[in-house]
Amino acid sequence: MKLTDYIDPKCIKVDLSSQYKEEVVEELVFLLADCIDGKVDPDAVYNAVMMRESEGSTGLEKGIAIPHAKCDYVDRLRIAIGISRDGIDFDSQDGEPSKLFFLMVAPRNEAGPHVQAIARIVKITTMEGVKSKLLKANNAERVIEIINGIENGG
Amino acid sequence: MSDANPLGNILLYIDGSDNSLVAARMAIAMSKVYESNLRVIYVVNEKLLNELLKAKVFVQMEKMDYERDLEEDGKRYLNYVVKLADEKGVRVETVLKKGVVHEEVSREVDEYGADLVIQGELGEIHSLKDSFYEEGERIVRKAPCPVMVVRDRDRVERIYDSL
Repeated sequence: MKLTDYIDPKCIKVDLSSQYKEEVVEELVFLLADCIDGKVDPDAVYNAVMMRESEGSTGLEKGIAIPHAKCDYVDRLRIAIGISRDGIDFDSQDGEPSKLFFLMVAPRNEAGPHVQAIARIVKITTMEGVKSKLLKANNAERVIEIINGIENGG
Repeated sequence: MSDANPLGNILLYIDGSDNSLVAARMAIAMSKVYESNLRVIYVVNEKLLNELLKAKVFVQMEKMDYERDLEEDGKRYLNYVVKLADEKGVRVETVLKKGVVHEEVSREVDEYGADLVIQGELGEIHSLKDSFYEEGERIVRKAPCPVMVVRDRDRVERIYDSL
């Protein structure tokens, strides 16, 4: 699978305005809802993601967070990406602020692509130098270009 | 290998991707042309789920939930292949396993006595290290019998439709 097949540049925000965990989830959910109008119920997605967060934070180490959930109110696997230069307290594993967010939601009957996409994001973001490149991206196209470059062997 | 038919038993591996469903059409076509037995296998990738649990991306309950979902996915894909095979009058057996994908496929090759494994086109491999993450690549390397990797969707569609 290719991540870029599931990422719309309109679902990428390189300057998140949120300062708190709930805010950033909401910001990304509404970003997703705005760019795929009518194909996602933002309230249902927000609730599903926050419910999942209540079971354990998806704030990983080194500034990466992958908030995700299964939700019947999306048409297919959807990914929104957000960057916060200052970082946001996301209850991460290492206690460091999270800066790079990948919000992922998928319907229950698309577990395969969902699991593969999560694994791929973990893999890509832990590759040498990738996180710092993404954090320096100043627009959505650059984010896509970086991910595309990795997926195409660049 | 059966004495009468050197391609007596064909094992098709699917992961639900479009590429694997192209491979399914090719396997059905070959099974019909060569009068081979056809078995199709889907493996719930427990190794990947465990890695995501270990990385704390998943919590335990969630991992079990995804495992069930993947099992349901697998059943759906296997039923789809049965339906495709039915259209061409080909009988197909289905197998759903859980575990390390390439190991389960290799085990099935031995148990079934497969003469050939058929699978879809491989994903992009960017480095040797990367190749170890691609289950399709591992099957090619590890399966104890010839492995056919199917590409060229249009041509396969034409072959399938011509039967």
